[in-house]
Amino acid sequence: MRIALSLTLALLPLLAATTASASSDKTFDQQVPAQPRGVVEISNVSGSIQVSGWERNDVSVHAELDAGVERVDVSSDGGRTTIKVIVAHSSSDGGEARLQVKIPKDSELNVSAVNADLTSSGVLGVQHLSAVSGNITAELGGADGELKTVSGDLRLKAHGLPARLHVSTVSGDVYLEHGAGDLEASTVNGTLILSLDGARSVRARTTAGDVRFEGKLTRGATLEASTVSGDLNVRASAEGGYAYEVSSFSGDITDCFNASPERVSKYGPGSRLEGTRGEGAGHLRLKTMSGDVQLCDRP
Amino acid sequence: MVHAQAEETRVDWESALVQRARGGDRRAFERLYREHVGRVYGLCLRMTRDAQLAEDCTQDTFINAWRALGKFETRSSLSTWLHRIAVNVSLARRRKSGPVEPLPAEEQETAAEWTLETPVEVQELENAIGALPEGARDALVLHALYGYSHGEAARMLGIAEGTCKAQLHRARRLLRERLGMEVN
Amino acid sequence: MTGPTDTNGRTVASLRELPQSIEPARDLWPGIESQLTALPAQDSAQGAGPGYRRALRLRWLAAAAMLSCLAVGIWIGRSLLPGAAVGHLPPSTASRSTVPGLAPTALDAAYVSDPRYERQRRALVRALQERLAVLPPPARAKVTASLAAIEKAKKDLEGALGQDPGNALLQELLINTYQDEMRVLTDVHEASDSGRGI
Repeated sequence: MRIALSLTLALLPLLAATTASASSDKTFDQQVPAQPRGVVEISNVSGSIQVSGWERNDVSVHAELDAGVERVDVSSDGGRTTIKVIVAHSSSDGGEARLQVKIPKDSELNVSAVNADLTSSGVLGVQHLSAVSGNITAELGGADGELKTVSGDLRLKAHGLPARLHVSTVSGDVYLEHGAGDLEASTVNGTLILSLDGARSVRARTTAGDVRFEGKLTRGATLEASTVSGDLNVRASAEGGYAYEVSSFSGDITDCFNASPERVSKYGPGSRLEGTRGEGAGHLRLKTMSGDVQLCDRP
Repeated sequence: MVHAQAEETRVDWESALVQRARGGDRRAFERLYREHVGRVYGLCLRMTRDAQLAEDCTQDTFINAWRALGKFETRSSLSTWLHRIAVNVSLARRRKSGPVEPLPAEEQETAAEWTLETPVEVQELENAIGALPEGARDALVLHALYGYSHGEAARMLGIAEGTCKAQLHRARRLLRERLGMEVN
Repeated sequence: MTGPTDTNGRTVASLRELPQSIEPARDLWPGIESQLTALPAQDSAQGAGPGYRRALRLRWLAAAAMLSCLAVGIWIGRSLLPGAAVGHLPPSTASRSTVPGLAPTALDAAYVSDPRYERQRRALVRALQERLAVLPPPARAKVTASLAAIEKAKKDLEGALGQDPGNALLQELLINTYQDEMRVLTDVHEASDSGRGI
């Protein structure tokens, strides 16, 4: 009896030190060394993931775990740090993990979540953020990014540093501020609200939502925006000007140049507006089936 | 703080792109192309004085740069490295197309700011530079427009520093005659 | 001889004030890239790491959709489709209309499809309900609404094309919509793999 009690007492610290137990909510903390430009991969089924970049060459994980989360595995090896939430039950049992992760600011960041919101700030490396049902809020530091969610919104803040961005959501909205470089953005029935400081190429596409673009194009830049039934509102100025081509099958086309759209056919619907602003160095194409188009070359 | 961070990030970004391009990432190389094509084309155009040749020179410059990325030291300036390649490409094309003009005797050219007695329209000045003999024009473009030192310009052109200074002296004299004013 | 042109009448007081950067009149990158492609060994893009590789798992489906759409797009016209790939496909793949001289109609367009694309689309659609069931309920509802929006867009476009079969704008938007549908089906497929446990 005494031996059993002693054994139990001896084992208690070990039980306390395990990363998770199935019986109650708990927190998890761990820090591992990491390379300054390594890769950090994070996956979580349900909850939230907040990532921030810092000056240290460590990855620090703090998590609040609901019952139903079995453990959090953190490993770091050869320039790759992996953080993975393991659920003991299916996500419908509420096994949520709310992660706060700090990573070296120049890391490449790959995040994959199912039912979780993702936030990143102060990360200067390439970012691949993917969520099924969750919003993505990211600060972009000049490196390329691929950000996608199935049913959430994307709110992105860049700093006017050229990068190649690919952002997509099936049913949410996309908001981008101070973007620059090359952008592909798509949504099916959400809205794209894009503001770029120096765009080289922009492709924006929705099926049923609107596209609103405001910003500056670099010399020779291209901007293509299309929607089937949404409206297009583009206020774009460009170094060297641009040649524009605007088409709408059954919507209205208006502009601030006092140009008049022409009917495509005498006998059927469809209007088109074509022309050149400045030297015509860039190219701008706007297309919609039933939406209206507004185009201007100044804010 | 944000501005300093942005500058630092810009430099880090270019080094990261060079690294990736070295590894075969053409998208990264395209980004570098887009950042530097203006300065490369500007130099090629002034050296060749022909837009089509300048486009060919620019394309050859970037293709040669892609091949030689392994030799580029990331501590150096990528822009200067690309200019060196562009100068070599332009000179090679020129050698193929005709006899090389004789070099002037070396001279001691004093430092100059290349200021004009009175402001001149850009087009008139570009035309005057374009009318210079090739050697004088090359030295003038590299030194006075792109800010390379006598030594750097001479190395790029494959001539002695004294010869480069002589070409600059000649360029100043001819510009003075053409523009009808002092060039200091 | 030609050279830099500045038609604004701007004046400068020093050679150092002349612009160092002059943009070429056209984009030279396509020519450069085609020559890089022809170079041995150095043209293999290694991508950005496992993040890209994971994200590209099912992208060949999108590529198959693109092949199909490009075949349709031949008779729309080179200038209306993005990229230069359109011009590289032989015109004979454009339409199966058997009446010579008759312009392709929207119905012809619907049947001009790459067989691989059709097979993969059918497989994704068959598996759709099962895949949707794995997603969290909010995502499931939104994806269903998006697919309904795509169906409506297809119907509206095909209806309009029925009235105006040669309309290039409508044809391009219809192709875009098919591509978007394939993107959504692919995303749901990948997302439901995630939902089964990462």
